Amino acid sequence: MNSKLYWKQKLPVMLLNCFCMIGLAVFLRVTANSFDSIFLILLIWIVILAVHLVISYHNRKVQMEKLLDLAEQLEERYLLSEVMGKPERADDRVYCQLLRMAGKSMLEQVNEVRRERTEYKEYVEQWVHEIKMPITAMKLLCENNRSQVTKELLTQLEKVNRYTEQALYYARSEHTEKDYSVREIRLFDVVHQSIAENKYLLLQNGVGIDLQETDDTVYSDEKWLCFILNQMIVNSVKYRTERPVLQFYIERQGNQVILCVEDNGIGIDAGDLQRIFEKGFTGQNGRKVLQNSTGIGLYLCRRLCNKLGIGICADSKGSGTTLRLIFHINDFIERV
Amino acid sequence: MKHRILIVEDDVVIQTQLRNLLAGNGYEAEIINDFPVDMEQVRSFQPHLILLDIKLPGSDGFSVCSQIRAFSNAPIIFVTSCSTDMDELNSIMLGGDAFITKPYNTAILLAKIASLLKRAYPATEQEVLSCNGVVLHLESSTIEYAGRQTDLTKNELKILYYLFKHAGIICTRADLVEYLWDNQLYVDDNALSVNINRIRDKLSAIGVTDFIKTKHRQGYIL
Repeated sequence: MNSKLYWKQKLPVMLLNCFCMIGLAVFLRVTANSFDSIFLILLIWIVILAVHLVISYHNRKVQMEKLLDLAEQLEERYLLSEVMGKPERADDRVYCQLLRMAGKSMLEQVNEVRRERTEYKEYVEQWVHEIKMPITAMKLLCENNRSQVTKELLTQLEKVNRYTEQALYYARSEHTEKDYSVREIRLFDVVHQSIAENKYLLLQNGVGIDLQETDDTVYSDEKWLCFILNQMIVNSVKYRTERPVLQFYIERQGNQVILCVEDNGIGIDAGDLQRIFEKGFTGQNGRKVLQNSTGIGLYLCRRLCNKLGIGICADSKGSGTTLRLIFHINDFIERV
Repeated sequence: MKHRILIVEDDVVIQTQLRNLLAGNGYEAEIINDFPVDMEQVRSFQPHLILLDIKLPGSDGFSVCSQIRAFSNAPIIFVTSCSTDMDELNSIMLGGDAFITKPYNTAILLAKIASLLKRAYPATEQEVLSCNGVVLHLESSTIEYAGRQTDLTKNELKILYYLFKHAGIICTRADLVEYLWDNQLYVDDNALSVNINRIRDKLSAIGVTDFIKTKHRQGYIL
């Protein structure tokens, strides 16, 4: 509580008292009282007034500080009006009532927005599932009628599928706990799977694949991991050079298993390297090479990695980029 | 013997295309058209394997699965567009053997079907392919001609398998590369030429010449 302002606002009361004191003094003097008695009466008045003012200031200050403390401790501060109890002063009660009304209307608004958001999210998920039916049908139609045209169509379908998956994972990335199952997976099985999902993209761009296959296993969610790898593969193809080659290999460091995805593409500028996982960051490559860089892919990767407890980092030295997924091998899980 | 596969799926285009795909890969496929699924129809067809969609009009795939399980032990592959883990768990609990999400990679689907069929109905005779007197042994990964044998690498075996399967038809290089990729052998165009040459060398060593013919600008033919 601002004490200066408080006292400033008490000024009218004090002035009123002063006027009254002067009036009383004049009256007493006219009715022939002695200076001493007038002085004594005024002194007592002043003391009582001062004590009253100081005590009420003190009480008010303590009360206000208590409320501020309470607000500080509350996690959801909009609930303050419910917690602080009924104030005694009449005007305070009005404020309290106002606060409650404001809080209530805000909660209503928030709930409304929240409900709309979940509804929208559910709609997006539903939509993704529905759009997959025609995609499947188209894919089968193409596979059954092989020609140069259908191959091109399949490449485009891969793209369509990737974008819809991205939408789905974006909608879901908030609460992954709903939709992931951690189990032992062989890392290279997932690598094979994501290569298969991007087969036409890789073949059409003449990307060579170099696998140093091992049987390392980790505990993670296969579906999400596959999605992350897909994003990496797409990026490597996007920022490729002549004769692109993609390498997949595993490094072991202590209790870490690191899956490395290395390409020989144009690489990432040292200045950009720190920021590539930020949302909407496209960097020099995104601006120079392609106009359709969205800066969503790697952002989603990092977000999913965080949820899954996987480390992700990028490394680039002039040309070529190595993306690393770092899995921690937990002895505890292995024993279970 | 042709394996019979039952397709339980409500989307008409996917139904027919799936049947064409399976028929093209040497299976006999039958479609269930009426929903809810008539169990008598399933029983009379006696499928070796069932492709089951989860979202079906009338009753869902899970109940169909448990109904089928009451009289048949045929492998069931769940095919669905909703890929939640709850569904996956349910499908496994109810006796499903595999779970594939749409849009599926046809190569992966076919591979899964083949491996499940192989496990459920072990082939009695060894898998052997032959063409013009040249015999390809898949299990031992060798090729034989007039009593002389030679070993093949994984790449060579797969290339020959594809060519044998399509004997008499021109196989384009792109199709061959794609087939190899489907089998997790990531061979590029140059490596394919190298492999083909190596196969020709091996074939001439056992006395077969001009077995794989090159069609200029088109591909290879047996």
